[in-house]
Amino acid sequence: MSAVVIDGHLVHYETLGRGRPVVFLHGWLGSWRYWMETMDEMSIHYRTYAFDFWGFGDSAKVAERYTVPHLVQQLEAFLDALGIWKCDLVGHALGGLVALGFGLRWPQRVGQVATVSLPFTEDAITPRLTKVNPTGVLDKVFRQRPLDYAALRAEAERADVQAIGRSIASLKGLDLRGQKPPARWLAIHGEKDDIVRPPEPGSLRQDASRFRLILFDQGRHFPMLEETSKFNRLLKDFLAGDDLASLQIKEEWRRRTH
Amino acid sequence: MGKILVVEDDRDIRELIAFTLRFAGLEVETASSGMEGLEKARTFQPDLILLDVRMPKMTGFEVCERLKQDGQTAHIPVVFLSARGQEAEIREGMSLGAVDYILKPFSPDELPGRVRDILKRSKGAKSP
Repeated sequence: MSAVVIDGHLVHYETLGRGRPVVFLHGWLGSWRYWMETMDEMSIHYRTYAFDFWGFGDSAKVAERYTVPHLVQQLEAFLDALGIWKCDLVGHALGGLVALGFGLRWPQRVGQVATVSLPFTEDAITPRLTKVNPTGVLDKVFRQRPLDYAALRAEAERADVQAIGRSIASLKGLDLRGQKPPARWLAIHGEKDDIVRPPEPGSLRQDASRFRLILFDQGRHFPMLEETSKFNRLLKDFLAGDDLASLQIKEEWRRRTH
Repeated sequence: MGKILVVEDDRDIRELIAFTLRFAGLEVETASSGMEGLEKARTFQPDLILLDVRMPKMTGFEVCERLKQDGQTAHIPVVFLSARGQEAEIREGMSLGAVDYILKPFSPDELPGRVRDILKRSKGAKSP
């Protein structure tokens, strides 16, 4: 476990690997932890980072900084503190919004953006997120629970529920269906996601040379935990700079281990 | 999609406004001073300028006057951003050619709708 202090408050982060920096951002139901396997896989080629947003995981609970614009500022301060000028961003749900918000604010600091289960409109987010305890929502998400589910659940349990409510409340009027990509942008969704409803492909107006939407047909809210190998392979192809039009979900492959 | 220029010296407020409007599908440019605002108004040619009244060096009122004197920017509608309690000052400033004002602190929930309404109204006023 590592930590930096930003404006007098502790931010917990983890880092793995060597190479070009890639920063992973978590969503509403937990912390950096659900990026662990993906970070491990990507760390062969990249320096991977993940930190906990204010109010989540082991980072400080700073109630006045729970809006999404404040989390964008937290990402900026985190990168500055670690001396990272430019990086690729991979964000899940809330983390996807922060990645995109940061990219729109600082396009020169972002190489590529991958969003996972990103709400394109405010009404795509289930109202259950603000009405039910995060662990209650999480318990119903997986058809088959990942091996380390107990650890993921424990992290979700530690989230400040105000951090979930306030970040969602700061998204009134959200409409990203016509949003110009700030960088090469891959949007990944589970077609069966009932926490953040995937966008109707026909409703998106992004330029196809800079944007690609890929749906996991059996996927739900956590494609990186539900179909980890396929997800990791797709992300790896994207980060390596493969042509957006040629990206596709490929069968599982495993890294050789000794 | 409307183009909005936000001229505000307070970084937190500037970023919050810009973020909220960007995520509501608007194209946003920012400036942290009156001088920068004047330059960006010329180059960015926004559909609307959100202009803070109380800024050091050049106040929002001075910026508004200069915008209205410049042939390249005179047509751009200006909306003042002002702290609550300064309403009397704002009404005085409206005589400089601003179309509306928004009081701070504002609610991020209301801002995009308010800006769209002003944009619609301004476009309507321009058409014959």
